[in-house]
Amino acid sequence: MTAASSSVLLAMSAPPYWHCGRSIRRQSLYTLAALLPAICFAVWNWGLPAVRVMALSIAVCVVVEALCQKLMGRELAVDDLTAVCSGLLLAFLLPADSPWWIVALGAVISITLGKMAFGGLGANPVNTVLVGWAVLFVSFPLHMDANAASLGTQFVDPLVRLKFFGAEQAAHIPLTDLLLGRQINGLGAGQIGALFVGGSLLCMRGILRWHSALGFFLGVAGIAAVFHASDPTLHASPLYHLCTGSVMLGGFFLITDPANAPSRPLPMFLYGLIGGGLVMAIRKYGVYTDGTPFAILLVNMLTPLLDMIRPKPFGVR
Amino acid sequence: MSVMHEFTKGLWQDLPPFRLVLGLCPTLAVTNSANNGLGMGAAVIFVLVLSNMLISMVRGIIPKKVRIACFIVIAASLVVAVELLMQAYAYPLYQQLGIFVPLIVVNCIILARAEAFAAKNGVAASVADGLGIGLGYTLSLTFLGSLREILGNGTWFGAPVMWEGFEPFRIMVQAPGAFICLGLILAGMNVINVWQARRKGLREPDPVGCGGCGCCSLDKKD
Repeated sequence: MTAASSSVLLAMSAPPYWHCGRSIRRQSLYTLAALLPAICFAVWNWGLPAVRVMALSIAVCVVVEALCQKLMGRELAVDDLTAVCSGLLLAFLLPADSPWWIVALGAVISITLGKMAFGGLGANPVNTVLVGWAVLFVSFPLHMDANAASLGTQFVDPLVRLKFFGAEQAAHIPLTDLLLGRQINGLGAGQIGALFVGGSLLCMRGILRWHSALGFFLGVAGIAAVFHASDPTLHASPLYHLCTGSVMLGGFFLITDPANAPSRPLPMFLYGLIGGGLVMAIRKYGVYTDGTPFAILLVNMLTPLLDMIRPKPFGVR
Repeated sequence: MSVMHEFTKGLWQDLPPFRLVLGLCPTLAVTNSANNGLGMGAAVIFVLVLSNMLISMVRGIIPKKVRIACFIVIAASLVVAVELLMQAYAYPLYQQLGIFVPLIVVNCIILARAEAFAAKNGVAASVADGLGIGLGYTLSLTFLGSLREILGNGTWFGAPVMWEGFEPFRIMVQAPGAFICLGLILAGMNVINVWQARRKGLREPDPVGCGGCGCCSLDKKD
C-alpha cells in the first residue's frame, strides 16, 4: 500500500447524499419525551411502586436486547433506545403493584419472542410490547388484573364498573378523575390526559403518523356513539370509552408502531378504524373488560392485507 | 441394512411434525399434556404400521386410478379398530383425544407414507418405515406435550416436577402455547441442522420455502 492511497480519503457510496436527520434514536427520544407527562402522572398517582415497575421493565428490556444481539452476532444497537421505549410501554400496561417476576418475565418475552425471534427491529409482525403483555395476561390472569392487584387504593376501575354495574353507575365517575388518571388501570395506560397531550404533540411533530390514531379513536367513539344513542341508560358515552382502559395509550403509541402498521394514509386509517371497532366488540360482547391490546394484536395481522391497497404503477391497466 | 435405514430415517432425518411438517393438526391440538401426546402417537403407530403393511401387500392388486380411495378405506378400517380398542381399554384417553382419533384417517402422514413409500416397496421395508415414522411422530408429540405440560401445568405425566410455589404459564396448555412451542422447536431444529452442516464442512441448507423472499439470508456472507 502506497502512502498516497492511505492518506487520500475518498468516500464512495451510492446516492442519495442528502439526509433529513431523522434517525431511530431521535424517533425514540421524541417518543420518550411524549411519554414523560404520563410518567409524571403515573408517579403522582401510584407513587414509588410505579417507578419500580418502570425501571425494572426498562432495565430488563435493554439487557435482554443487548444479550440477544450479542448472541446473534450482530452489532449492538441498544443505543437506538427502542428497547427503552418497549420497556416503558410494557410497564404502562402493567398494574403498579405487579410482582417483580411478572415485570421481568414480560420484558424478556417481549424482546425475545416479540422482537428478536423475528430478526430484530422492524421485522416483527405484531407489536413487540403486546406479545409480552398477552403472554402474561393469558398466563397469570390474577396478577395481571389491575383491580385485584391494587387493593390499597381509593380509585375505582371504570371498565369493571361499566361491565358489571351498568352505565348509570359508571356515569357517576367524574370525567376529571378519568383524565387525571385517578382510575384503576395499567399504571401508565390510565393517565389519559397526559397521554393525550403527549400523543397529540408527537402527531403534530410528524413523529407519529396520525391516520391510524385518528381511525382508531373514530372507530371506538363511533361505535360507542351508536350504542349510546340507542339507549343512554344501558351504554356509556363515547367519551367514557375513550377515557378508560388503554384506548389512549393504544391509539397513540401501540397501534401506530411503524413496524406493524400499513404504510399509506388510507390503509392506515382503515387499520385504525377496524382496530377501534374490535375494541368495542370485545368490550360489548367479550369476556374481557378492556379489549384494546387484543384488538391491536388482531389488526396487526391485517397489515399485509391492507398494504395491498395501493395505487397502480403508471401505465398498468 | 436397508430395513434399518428405513426405520431410522423417521427418527431424525424425516421426523414427521418437525422436518416434514406433516400431521400438524393433532400435533397442535392434543399435545396439552405428555400423556395425550403419547396416546395419540401410539394410535398413529398402530394405524401407520398396519396400513403400510396392508397397502404394501395389496399394492399389486389395486388399480392405479382408484388407489387413493383404497388407501383411505384401509386406513379408515384400522382407525375404527383403534377407536373401538381405545373405548374399551383407555376410555379417559379416548375422551381427551376426542375427534382427533377418527381424524387419523385423513392425517396426511398416513396417506403420504402409503402413497410415497408403501405402494412402491416391499412388506418388510414398509413396516420398518411405518414403525420409524410412527415412533418419530410419537416422540415428537410426547416431547411437545411434555414441554407444554411442564411449563403450563408444572407437572409431567401428571406428577408435579416444578418447585413449590411455581406459577404455571397457563398460556402453554392453551392453543397459542402450541403455536409458540412449535415455532420455537422448528427454529431450534434449523439451528441444529445449520450447525451440523457447518461442522461437517458441508454447504448450509438453503432457507427455501419462504415464498421466494429469502430476506433472512441477505446479510449472510457467501
